[in-house]
Amino acid sequence: MAVADEFAPTISLEGARKARGNLTQARIRWMVLAMVLGFGLVGARLVQLGMVETDSTIEGQARDVITATRPPILDRNGLEMAVDIRVPSLFAEPRRIIDVEEAVKKLRTVLPDLDEKWLRARLTGDKGFVWVQRELSPAIQDKVMRLGIPGVDFITESKRFYPGMSEASHILGSTNIDNQGIAGIERHMDSEDVALLQDLGLARGNALAPVELSVDMRVQHIMHEQLMDAMTRYKAIAAAGVMMDIHTGEIIALASVPDFDPNDPKSALVKDSFNRITAGIFEPGSIFKTVTMAGAIDAGAVRLTDQFDARFGVRFGRFTIDDFHGKHRILSLPEVYKYSSNVGTIRVMQALGKDNYRAFLSTMGFDARVPFELPEMRLPTVPKNFSEVGAATASFGHGLSVSPLHMVTAYSAFVNGGNYIAPTLYKRTVAEAEPLYRRVVQPSTSEAIRYLMRLNAIGSGGSGSQMNKLALGFRVGGKTGTAEKVVDGRYSSSKVTNFFGSAFPLDNPRYAMIIMIDEPKAESAQTGTTAGWNAGTVTGRIVQRVAPMLGIAPDFSPLIDDSLVPASLRNGPPGSQFN
Amino acid sequence: MIRNFNIFLIFTSVFVLSSVYGLKFSIENTASERTELIAQIDSQEGELSILKADEAVLSQPGHIGPIVARHELALAISPVKQEQFGAFADLPMRPVQQQPNSSAMNSLFQALEAGVDPIDAILELEGIE
Repeated sequence: MAVADEFAPTISLEGARKARGNLTQARIRWMVLAMVLGFGLVGARLVQLGMVETDSTIEGQARDVITATRPPILDRNGLEMAVDIRVPSLFAEPRRIIDVEEAVKKLRTVLPDLDEKWLRARLTGDKGFVWVQRELSPAIQDKVMRLGIPGVDFITESKRFYPGMSEASHILGSTNIDNQGIAGIERHMDSEDVALLQDLGLARGNALAPVELSVDMRVQHIMHEQLMDAMTRYKAIAAAGVMMDIHTGEIIALASVPDFDPNDPKSALVKDSFNRITAGIFEPGSIFKTVTMAGAIDAGAVRLTDQFDARFGVRFGRFTIDDFHGKHRILSLPEVYKYSSNVGTIRVMQALGKDNYRAFLSTMGFDARVPFELPEMRLPTVPKNFSEVGAATASFGHGLSVSPLHMVTAYSAFVNGGNYIAPTLYKRTVAEAEPLYRRVVQPSTSEAIRYLMRLNAIGSGGSGSQMNKLALGFRVGGKTGTAEKVVDGRYSSSKVTNFFGSAFPLDNPRYAMIIMIDEPKAESAQTGTTAGWNAGTVTGRIVQRVAPMLGIAPDFSPLIDDSLVPASLRNGPPGSQFN
Repeated sequence: MIRNFNIFLIFTSVFVLSSVYGLKFSIENTASERTELIAQIDSQEGELSILKADEAVLSQPGHIGPIVARHELALAISPVKQEQFGAFADLPMRPVQQQPNSSAMNSLFQALEAGVDPIDAILELEGIE
């Protein structure tokens, strides 16, 4: 306006030039006004921009590029066994770092584990992106941000977290730093479909449906706890156990100690922490007698009422096979099983014939890998053909090596009515499992095996009596197995692998279990090192704790046990009765 | 005429210019708001994942077990024993009840049939009609 005023009082004379001059001046005035307004606008905008506090948190923030997520893994009751957590990872842009020395010094105040030389070399240069340390905690992120080092920033990554720590380590396996499964069910899931999804970039966010496993974390916890207890109680070098639902093939619990913490995959590399249930093969010892019995009874080669001469050892050339704490008399078939007579079992196998026996082992899947999800599996070693002596030793579980998973699958088939069902780690109903059944023995054989297993637990002198004392009322039955280890080419009587194969509740069986204790020592001077004292008692303790969780109520009625005795033995020979 | 039209055009273009700029800035604002919200959602999802993991740890049997063991003495708790389980079928039958005095009942019924109500005598004694 001030500019306009200076030109205000003009004397106007009528005339074309004047009028033109006035018009020019008016135009100049308008232009000046427009310019002032224009510059005023620009100035005001500049002032406004100067006042606005820029929000640096949103500008150019690195979005979570590396969030390859994995579906959560739940146990059969919906409890999380593995979840994804978002954690910050520290990276640097060396070309933007001004003072490397200062950055190194400052970073090491928060992350003292970083090697100084390594860090200096890492931050020097003209690279655009280098990892400094991945998967840190939010607290550390906060501290590093507070240091205010230019060229150092965080990116959020997905990290696998296992809330159960080491309890289900062999089931879950672990993932590497790029969130890919490297062991256990995690690896199996990747081979299925997750890897493909991640490749396509679809596995982002939390859209993945959770994977439900067949495992019951409560049972898993008890089994893991009891195996850890067994390690110290019997000063064993290892212990392992597996429990299976005999009708669906679902694995309810599977543990092997020593184990590792899946949150720290490095710990899986420690020697001896392999999964003994699937990746360990052992001579099963006397728990294999159940297989021999089932094969012979099913083929009709022997009957429960038959008698076997166990007075003397069996001679094969210069070898003589004799019984451990033998009775050295004529034994009935139930007594052969109850007293775990090697001689008697050889006679049972011979009644069946060694070739038929070998064929039965194939039927039971003993010469192939058990179809199972875990990638950590080893082939069993069972001779293609048996020699006379080979078949004899195999009848009581020596001279062949199978995994405990083989044994639990066989035991399941023997007690569930005679149907082989491959184990699984995924949830499955009976209806879904039934089409997968493969009949291996007749229901009557299954009945006989149930009776024999229960007899071994409650009959006088049965090797399962230690177990039954602990799991009273839960109708558990089972077979002990004390396999001598081969040390320097000979069987050693001091180093043994002990097994206990069991099933419960035998009046209406639902679960089969194998417990293995490797190289146990006697707990006290009054106890022994045979399987009944360690693998057996561990089984008893586990059943005592888990049976109520699995909905099995104790029943002390003797009628239940009496109903397990097959009709042919109702007034049978002594030693075949439950007392 | 042309002049007026030009003035109109100038005003229109200025108006359109300012509104286009206004639109541009409002879109930029919305975009930055959106980015901010996405970042917020992301960080909250991150926090949520940590909280969920925390909850999973706290509800693990392996976490609860040691706590129970630690307070076993103070709370006087121990794993359930087989003998502690029971079922309705295990309950004993109701004890045999005392039989009613049948001879007294018989005489009462006989008296009633004969037309004598014992209550009348009691009422009379009490003086109630």
